[in-house]
Order: sequence, then C-alpha cells, then structure tokens
Amino acid sequence: MIELLHVSKNFGVDIHAVNDVSLTINNGDIYGIIGFSGAGKSTLVRCINLLERPDSGQVIIDGVDMMKLKPKELYKARTKIGMIFQQFNLMPSRTVLGNIAYPLKNMTREQINSRVKDLLSLVEIPDKINAYPSELSGGQKQRVAIARALANDPNILLCDEATSALDPQTTGSILQLLKDLNKKLGLTIVVITHEMEVVKQICRKAAVMDAGKIIESGDVFEIFSNPQHQVTKNFVRTTSNLSKIETLIRDDSPMVKLKPGELMARLVYIHADVSEPLISYASRAFDIEINIILADVEIVAGAMVGGTVVIFNGPRERINQAIEYYKSKDIRVEVIADAGITA
Amino acid sequence: MQELLPNLMRRLPEFWKACGDTLLMEVWSGAIIFVFGLIFGIILTVTKPGGIMENKFLYQVLDKIINLFRSIPFIILLTALMPLSRFIMGTAIYVRGVIVPLVFGATPFFSRQIESALAQTDKGLVEAALSMGSSPFEVIFRVYLRESLAPIIRAITITIISLLGLTAMAGAVGAGGLGDFAIRYGHDRNMIDITWVVVIVLVLGVSLVQWLGEYFARKNTH
Repeated sequence: MIELLHVSKNFGVDIHAVNDVSLTINNGDIYGIIGFSGAGKSTLVRCINLLERPDSGQVIIDGVDMMKLKPKELYKARTKIGMIFQQFNLMPSRTVLGNIAYPLKNMTREQINSRVKDLLSLVEIPDKINAYPSELSGGQKQRVAIARALANDPNILLCDEATSALDPQTTGSILQLLKDLNKKLGLTIVVITHEMEVVKQICRKAAVMDAGKIIESGDVFEIFSNPQHQVTKNFVRTTSNLSKIETLIRDDSPMVKLKPGELMARLVYIHADVSEPLISYASRAFDIEINIILADVEIVAGAMVGGTVVIFNGPRERINQAIEYYKSKDIRVEVIADAGITA
Repeated sequence: MQELLPNLMRRLPEFWKACGDTLLMEVWSGAIIFVFGLIFGIILTVTKPGGIMENKFLYQVLDKIINLFRSIPFIILLTALMPLSRFIMGTAIYVRGVIVPLVFGATPFFSRQIESALAQTDKGLVEAALSMGSSPFEVIFRVYLRESLAPIIRAITITIISLLGLTAMAGAVGAGGLGDFAIRYGHDRNMIDITWVVVIVLVLGVSLVQWLGEYFARKNTH
C-alpha cells in the first residue's frame, strides 16, 4: 500500500509543485493520476520513490516511512519500486540484455541471462535480446523498459506518461500489457498521464490533479459519469463525443437548428446499469419524438458511461414529463437549447 | 636526404631525443592530467545545482579555481610555477621541470572538457538508474562514465592535441622537446628545413591522435 500524507514539494520559493497531497493506493490497484501538463503529477509520482524528496509530509510504502530510511536502505527499497518513463530512458550504449541486466546484482552470468530471457518473454519480445535500443521501435523500447523495471520483482510500478510518446495503437498494446502484468503479478501500478483515454482503459481508481493539488479522486467510473470539478469536466469532455455538440452549434450546423417547440438536451448516464431502452420507451410512453443527434456510450471500469444529445419534439408538458422520467432514472438532463413553446 | 635536409641530418640524434622528450612530457603530464581532470570534471558534474550530489560550496570553489587557471596565459604559468616545480620535482627545467606547469595548464581545460562530455548524458538515464536503486557512485561509474564514453574519448583527443601545443611552448623555458628544437635551430639559426620537419612531425602526430580518437569514439557509439 502506498500512502502519501500531506506531501508538499516546492521548487524555489513560490512554485508549489505538489501542495499538501494525501493519497492512498491499495495493493493490486491500477491507479491513475491525471492532470494537464504542469499540474504537478510527475513531481508527485517522484515523491513516491523519493527521486524528489518532499519538503514536508510522509511517504509510507507497505508500512515503511520512506523518508526515514538511510541512503543504503532507500536504494534497496527502490529496487522494489519499478519506474518507466515517457522517453523510455534506455541506456544507448548497452544492448537490451545490458539494459535489463543493469539492476540485477549478485547473480552469475547464467542466472542473469535466464532472468533476462524470462523478462523478455513476459513483455512479449523474446527475440530482441542482443539489439541496441536505437534498433527498436517506440513500443519495443517501452517493453524493454518495463522488463528492466520488473527485473527485481517489484511490488509497485510507477508509469510516468509511459505511453505519451507512442501512437494510439502501440499505446493500446502497452496498456494491455500493463493490465496483464497487474493481473499476473499482482503488481500495483500508478499511472501518470494527461490522457483521459489511458485512465479510461486501465485504471480502476484515479485522482485528478491541478495546480499541485488533488481536486477529485475515487472510482474512475464515478469520475467519468459525474465529474464535480471544472478541470475534471474538461478532461471528461476531451474524451467524449458529446462535446462535439458545442462545435456543431457554434458552426451553425443545420443538424442542430431547432424548429419551434423543439428542445435539445444532453442526457448523461450517471448510474452503472443502463439496460432499459430509455429513448424508445419515453418516446412511446409520452408520445413525443426523440431524435438522437449524437451518442457516446463507453465501457469504463466495467460499467457504462456516456450519454446522448437528443432533440425532443412534441407538446411541452409531455416533453417535461419525459425529462422528469429520465431524472427519476438517474439520468442527468442538461438543456442545451430551447426553441420555446409552440403557439 | 643530406641535400634536402642538411641541418637536420647533421643533428639527427638530437632530433630523435627531442621527439622522445616531447613524447615523455606528453605521456607523463597527460597521465596526471587525465586522473585529476576526470575527477574534477566528475565533481563539477555531480555537485552542480540539480546534480546527484549537489554541493554548492564545493562546486563554486572548484568552478572558480578552474576559471582562474584557465585565464592565466600558459607562458606566464610556466615561469610563475617555477618555485612550485622546484619544490615538487626538484628542478624547474628540462622534462621533469615542466610537468607541473603542464598539469596546471591543461587540467582545468580537460576538466571542462569532461564536464561538458558528461553533461551530454541524458538526465533521464540518471533518473532511471536512481529509480532502480543505484547509489550516486554507481550512477557516476555505470551511467555517466559508461554512457558518455564517446564524448570522453573526444575530450581526451582534444586535450592531447592542445597539450602538444603547450609542450612546444614549454620548450621556450628550457624543457627540451620538439618545440625547443624548432626554436633553437629552425627559428634562431634560420634552419628552415628543421622548422619544416618539426611541423610535419607534429601534423602527423596530431592526425594520428585525431584519427585514433575518432575511431574509438565511433566504436563506442550505438
């Protein structure tokens, strides 16, 4: 378990990179820390393995107060906390074998060889053992970096923007690998990212960081379906199709031109089980037309998240009844545009 | 040969000795400069602000001393260090007497060369090594020195070549060697053939060092 208690880290007098952050990450979790660049998330993750020593607060890993360790004990503790980076940070003068063998100590040449081979097959690139990093693709480099980070059987893996330098497809395969490792080895993974997509794909829990503080944290599903803070809302919006409606309105698209009496609204699912046929039921029950303009429903952390943008057409009191019905089903209804009541 | 290089052929044994003396100065002072310069370059790198063993005081002191000695013209250093040379080496002339000023003259230069070679090491590599549990000393040997082998070799090459220039200057104050040989005969007695031969020998020497340096540097680049 990783516990951060009131951790602060300043650079200079007035840059509070991390400002009184408390956070608990349970064993076996995949925990996302998301924020725009400069939010302090990279500094925060470096406070976990003390690459950055906090100015105040406590860092407790599996009950051990990291800040109280002597240098030698700290070096030892770090071998049990793997870390991977955006730029991979493989040593260019060493082969894949040399890179992965770097953290291995007190082992014979044969033991090192077989350990490296095991690790390479774990990250699914068994045939690259003698290649130099310059001969590898980005995804392969990150796989080598993961193998190196896992060389000493750590309990924790810190990922600092580990997929930000990779294309979407490679990102997907690396995230899948991290997910598998989490399952196979029971590895606790901390994922630092500015991409909501990454959190959505692998994290169960997440914290949103802004200006050195954690402004929101909890289950990823909660954060996605019901963001509280404006920064979080912005993040959620970056990944959702539904935000396109604003562009459509701005561009005066004929798709979103309302006729008199029509009402445009965003329906957002907040609850985990959206199994009823909500649109067609309301349409029939209240005898109104419901026209879907945009829809975006995704599976996040095993539950549905998303919603639709629809245009209601019909007598106003029945539209209002439909809206009340949706609210009773825990669907958030945001009216985007209203063309008024028909004469 | 006799006709082409009349003055040189008459002084052939002296010429060979001058070559030997230059080589001797180069090797002796070079070895000492290598050790001290490497140590100072490493200290500068790791103690500078943001370095892995940050130490403002040590960094500032070393930084200033290096700047001080780099600003003193070598010809002045040669004479100014004579007392120190007598104290350490027992003499201020000949090869033995010039080792001290050569070391003081070239070590600051080499330290800066090493500092800038090590500065080329990606900060991310250092961070990765620390995250894997390396101690600062391990980072120095297994990351900084190992990963900047190619730029370090280039730094050595440049320093050997500039040291060659200094040994020629040292010739002027009685150190012997090729510089002394060229000044005494080539310049003072206007024996043009001697000047030319010394220049050719030096050009060949510089080219050889440059070629070897480039060869090994490239061999260590992946």
